[in-house]
Amino acid sequence: MTKLVEKRTVDMEVIGEWVDPASRVLDLGCGRGALLHYLVQTKEAAAVGVDLDFKRITACVGRGLSAYQGDMTGFMRQFPDRHFDRVICSRTVQELDDPTGVILEALRVGRALTVGFVNHGFWKNRVDALLRGRKVRNDVYTTEWFESSPSNPVTIADFEHFCAAKGITITRRAHLLGDWRTPCPALPNLFAGYALYDLAR
Amino acid sequence: MTDPEENESPHSSLASSEVGLVVPRDFVCAQPFTFKSGQTLPGFTLRYETYGSLNATRDNAVLICHALSGDHHCAGAHAADDRKPGWWNNLIGPGKAVDTNRFFVVCANVLGGCVGSSGPSSVNPATGQPYGISFPFVTILDMVRSQKLLLDYLGVASVHAVIGGSMGGMTALLFAIEFPAFTRRVLAMATTSRESAQAIAFNEVGRQAIMQDPDWNHGDYPKGGGPRVGLAIARMMAHITYVSDASMDRKFGRRKKNPANGEAYNFDVQFEVESYLRHQGQAFINRFDANSYLYITRALDQFDLAHAYGSLEAAFAPVQAECLVVGFTSDWLFPPEQNRQIALALLRAGKSASYAELSTDLGHDSFLLESEELYALVRAFLERHESAAVDFSI
Repeated sequence: MTKLVEKRTVDMEVIGEWVDPASRVLDLGCGRGALLHYLVQTKEAAAVGVDLDFKRITACVGRGLSAYQGDMTGFMRQFPDRHFDRVICSRTVQELDDPTGVILEALRVGRALTVGFVNHGFWKNRVDALLRGRKVRNDVYTTEWFESSPSNPVTIADFEHFCAAKGITITRRAHLLGDWRTPCPALPNLFAGYALYDLAR
Repeated sequence: MTDPEENESPHSSLASSEVGLVVPRDFVCAQPFTFKSGQTLPGFTLRYETYGSLNATRDNAVLICHALSGDHHCAGAHAADDRKPGWWNNLIGPGKAVDTNRFFVVCANVLGGCVGSSGPSSVNPATGQPYGISFPFVTILDMVRSQKLLLDYLGVASVHAVIGGSMGGMTALLFAIEFPAFTRRVLAMATTSRESAQAIAFNEVGRQAIMQDPDWNHGDYPKGGGPRVGLAIARMMAHITYVSDASMDRKFGRRKKNPANGEAYNFDVQFEVESYLRHQGQAFINRFDANSYLYITRALDQFDLAHAYGSLEAAFAPVQAECLVVGFTSDWLFPPEQNRQIALALLRAGKSASYAELSTDLGHDSFLLESEELYALVRAFLERHESAAVDFSI
């Protein structure tokens, strides 16, 4: 397995622990459906994914998933309050045009919202930016600035501030070190490479 | 749907990836059939074709549902020198997206049609004359129920999938609603859960063109006769709704039929697009019955699942099938939004449903497109659940 795929599976395991068996799960930015497929297999989740790309939807369909090609906010607006047990926004939040709008809408249609993101406050990223003076590039963010989709680098401190400002309750946190496996014991904004949050209204 | 001749499918009917020569058959149902309207027929005929073979467990059938002007001949050829194969030949065949090595593919001309199935041009045994407009009113539901009887007759225990575009998509959806335990997958493309005002409006113009033609004669005309001018105009207008501004511009632009003539100050054919539409109209009257056109467009107009079942979610409540809806960006007859709403209502009703949207500029008829992306999607949907292993590729 490549390093990225390995990290992907860690991400899935943490989220999997938070998902109740047989719950109704919506994955925003589901890609090729790897996470949802895992949740269906391990948790018998009733899974729906949203993505913008036809080929990724094709991959989801091939995996037996329900997948919807289109805008995630537009999709969520079509559902009643608390229709989903859990909404997942895994490594998508930094690419959203309107993160606040998406997160608040997700907290309306979902009883819980899981947000996972790469912590841009991670010390290596800080050192990188300070010494090289360049955009962060690593195992996860492999692209040059001019070839990647618009990205809104978010840190753990930023995200906690956002939740406090919007009155969003954080029910669970998982901060993982740079290996994305070992729990981060202290100073997560500096030492955590990856962060997962479980939110509720 | 536009004429099969407009879909530039390479025709090599005897090649290994082709269905090859096919023979249409007639299913004659001798039992009385009661239409949704309450009217009855003592029996009916559906003309159909099959490709591939039914497996021992009798569960590998794929039912293909045609659109307004389509028929049962969706793949293969009727003769070695046929100019064009069946209308969905690019999708159906050995090794193709709808793989006839694996699936038993069935396609029938709809009830009310004019290509061998019972319809207004059939002879009424009571009078010895064509039924004309005394034929019972046909709805999509009647098409579904009659095709279910055909599948029963063929020994099909349950269908692997029902697939259709446009009116065929409506038929496929209604199959899953009416026969939930029988229908395991539904693939509906370029379709709608309710005919919109615009679509009804276009159908009405077509019907008026037919009915205002004196040769229509209240539907009473001999075989081969009838409102040829009216039917041709109906087809010319409808054809425009199946394509798009961009695709017409690419195909014809403002090209002139006879550029050497310069500006012509008369009303003869000047532009290639005019000549093309006239050809479409003429070709259509030789293969389609005007009364069938009235009946089937009326069946389309009356299609409204939300109204029929109280709400779209209520309509989909019994569905057990896994559903896939495909919209096409340039389809302005059944636009992506109307396709999206079907998938969303299925999901709200807690069903397994996906929505995919293909970027094309070919308009409504995009569902007939030769597109590797579309084939891959269809294949993924039909062959899903065959490998249960978790894979972590992203």
